[in-house]
Amino acid sequence: MNIDKYTDAIKNCRFCFMCRHLSAIGNVTFTEADTPRVRASMIYGVTMHPEKISDRDFIDTLYRSDLSRCCCYHCVNHYDENSLNIAMRTDIVAAGLAPDYIRAIAAELKAADSWDVAGKGDVFYFADPYTTEAGTVQPAFDALMKKAGVAYGVISGGCIGRALKVLGYAAEAKAAAEKFVAAVKAAGAKTLVVSNPAAYELLKNDCAEFGIEVPFTVMHTSEYIISLGLKFNAVGKVYYLESDYLKNYNDNLAYPAELLAALGAERKPFGTNNEESYTCGEGAVVLPKINENLVRKLAEYIADRADDPANDLIVVASPYTKICLSKYTALKVVTLEELAASAL
Amino acid sequence: MLVPKDNYMYEMIRTELIDAVGQEYVSTSDADKFGHSVDYYWIPEMWHDRGKETPKPDFVVHPGSSEEVSKVMKIANNYKIPVTPWGGGSGSQGGALPVYGGIILDMKRMNKFIGIDKESLTVTCQTGIIARHLEWRCNKEGYSTMHLPASIACATIGGFLAHRGTGVLSTKYGKIEDMVMSLEVVTPTGDIIRTLPVPRHASGPDLTMLFLGSEGTLGVITEVTLKVHPEPEAREFRAYIFKDFHTAMSAGAELMRSRLQPCAVRLYDEEETIHHVRKVFGMELDQGAYLVFGFDGAKDIVECQMRRAREIMEEKYHGKDLGSKGGDLWWENKYKFFYPPYMFHIPQAFGTLDTVATFANIENVYWAMKKVVNENFPEARFIGHFSHWYEWGCMLYARFIFEGDKVPADPAEAAQLYNRVWDMAIRAAIANGGVINEHHGVGLKLGRLMKELYGPAMPVLEGIKKQLDPNNIMNPGKLGFKGV
Repeated sequence: MNIDKYTDAIKNCRFCFMCRHLSAIGNVTFTEADTPRVRASMIYGVTMHPEKISDRDFIDTLYRSDLSRCCCYHCVNHYDENSLNIAMRTDIVAAGLAPDYIRAIAAELKAADSWDVAGKGDVFYFADPYTTEAGTVQPAFDALMKKAGVAYGVISGGCIGRALKVLGYAAEAKAAAEKFVAAVKAAGAKTLVVSNPAAYELLKNDCAEFGIEVPFTVMHTSEYIISLGLKFNAVGKVYYLESDYLKNYNDNLAYPAELLAALGAERKPFGTNNEESYTCGEGAVVLPKINENLVRKLAEYIADRADDPANDLIVVASPYTKICLSKYTALKVVTLEELAASAL
Repeated sequence: MLVPKDNYMYEMIRTELIDAVGQEYVSTSDADKFGHSVDYYWIPEMWHDRGKETPKPDFVVHPGSSEEVSKVMKIANNYKIPVTPWGGGSGSQGGALPVYGGIILDMKRMNKFIGIDKESLTVTCQTGIIARHLEWRCNKEGYSTMHLPASIACATIGGFLAHRGTGVLSTKYGKIEDMVMSLEVVTPTGDIIRTLPVPRHASGPDLTMLFLGSEGTLGVITEVTLKVHPEPEAREFRAYIFKDFHTAMSAGAELMRSRLQPCAVRLYDEEETIHHVRKVFGMELDQGAYLVFGFDGAKDIVECQMRRAREIMEEKYHGKDLGSKGGDLWWENKYKFFYPPYMFHIPQAFGTLDTVATFANIENVYWAMKKVVNENFPEARFIGHFSHWYEWGCMLYARFIFEGDKVPADPAEAAQLYNRVWDMAIRAAIANGGVINEHHGVGLKLGRLMKELYGPAMPVLEGIKKQLDPNNIMNPGKLGFKGV
């Protein structure tokens, strides 16, 4: 089973409470099952009683996780309950036990594995579905590129694999990733810039795990914008909400903070700490399709921690987080690209 | 649960609970029930580890207000259903286990931060808030509860109140019961009451203290006002190695008798010293006892306190100074050893035999417990440190550990072995002036020893229980009170 790769997490997380305060879902459902400890403990139960893998409550609980990975990042020894959860999902799918609502999402994602290519150049920008849905992110990136005088192409379209991977469809995720990498290569890109941190994660880490060679440089927009060397007007006071993928999955990638510094941002600490995940479930990629009510609760939890919800300027790295916060709260939210474009 | 699931009365009760708190906040999911069936008590963890089913609640209910708690209490009384309050589920004594089924009243939805009174330096909150979240909220405004136990990340404030919890700065700021101004409580019959607004008065017996440590047997604490403190200007630590445990204990007691008001004092016995200094400092020692202490507050006062304390340690007791770094390392690592893999866990069998006694008795308590464990269970290791110090005595945080190959595979035999260690060690503590427990509580684990501890006073507690909870619905079978 895939979970056998994570016996250290099963062994250690099931006895440990030390990260439960960071369980984003647990903090809005208030139930013990939504904590790393209990999920690991239930998975341990499956190792003893394999028939428990088909328990529908157990399966639903696993798919309710936000996969923020902040518990793993917090852990003194970084035991990875997050990957254990994904491995268990993969075993559930392999056993033919994925619930209908997960199968339907996966089918939709699998059907969306094609991309449109527009323009050409050494640099391509990936407009994934969330970036496109957010509406204003790509135009902001375009404004920055025009200012810098850089010609670039755009590749846009559907699932490149990360969402399928977190749902437990590993083979399909790998196939989508391979196809996407081939499409980018065929477009002639030497550098691919992505706004969506989930896409960054797939291209930086998942592809290596799948054994897929990525023959172009992958940059998050924050890194790429810095490299443009543009001059900005100081943006003033902002609250930056970390991305799960850029912080917890990629060892606190420095570029967002460096970009904020380059923009002259006066960063204010959001909420009470910088350990909790304030992303509305970015790690789970498609959480709104799984349980929209949970996403609403996560958004409200974040809004409840703002100093001045009506006036604070909230900056996020993730178009996904912007979409969720904008939909369910009155917070003023912009992405890093939008903030940078506003400072030209 | 007194009504089987296939009886339509089960659905009638569920409907009433949903009416009280809302559809979303009554769960009968197998995953939720499992999550509320194992806390941090070794027995249920071992039971689960051996593939055995743990006793489950019938309903997991998340009330959102005191009024909703009251409604649940009235439903439970009507049907005589057990109600077990649950905070973070991180208790080590089994106090939150639904051993008779019924309703788990998970309090974490009642997590509102109500506000800080900056004139009186108090904070008011609902009790389902996780202690770390409350502390962060206070920190944002420049204050601290100064209640900083290792379980701060997982336990709720209500859990600490229910078990009279203690944090690492207890020596200056007190146990949780010293921090409380007043409480709101929902009684077992559903009345919502408030204790007096201040803790110092001559207006009758102290109802607040009645509910603190009652472990959910006398009601549900729903709101609390606690003292808060400004973040200190300075906090300094210093550590020493003494030639033996007795000398270190004498130095620590002298420090407390000096009334210099350290914020923390911790002394490790010789066996734990050897392991601890190796782990934290990379130092190899053959013998000796490690003592660390600290002061906090205004910088000039801390300097003065530290200077006077050093005179005691160095001139009178000839401690080997490990310097401020030796103390700071302890402070910086104070939670580290509660993370895996540092913390003991199954397949080991282990327990924290914490107790407290006066300085006149504490060494006798330590040696008596150590002797009884070593002589009766030679396959077990006994270690201890003294982690909460008061003007009159200190707390012994003793531990016994059986390595996995020394623990019976049969869960019933393992539980019997485990219970025998507790019975013998705690009886040794009581016989020498100790008590059942200092800050983890009594719960299911130690209830059977309550009559021995309280003697003729136990009927007083039982009478209070009967008066407040005539149908015995509140956490039956815990704290030495009768089961269902």
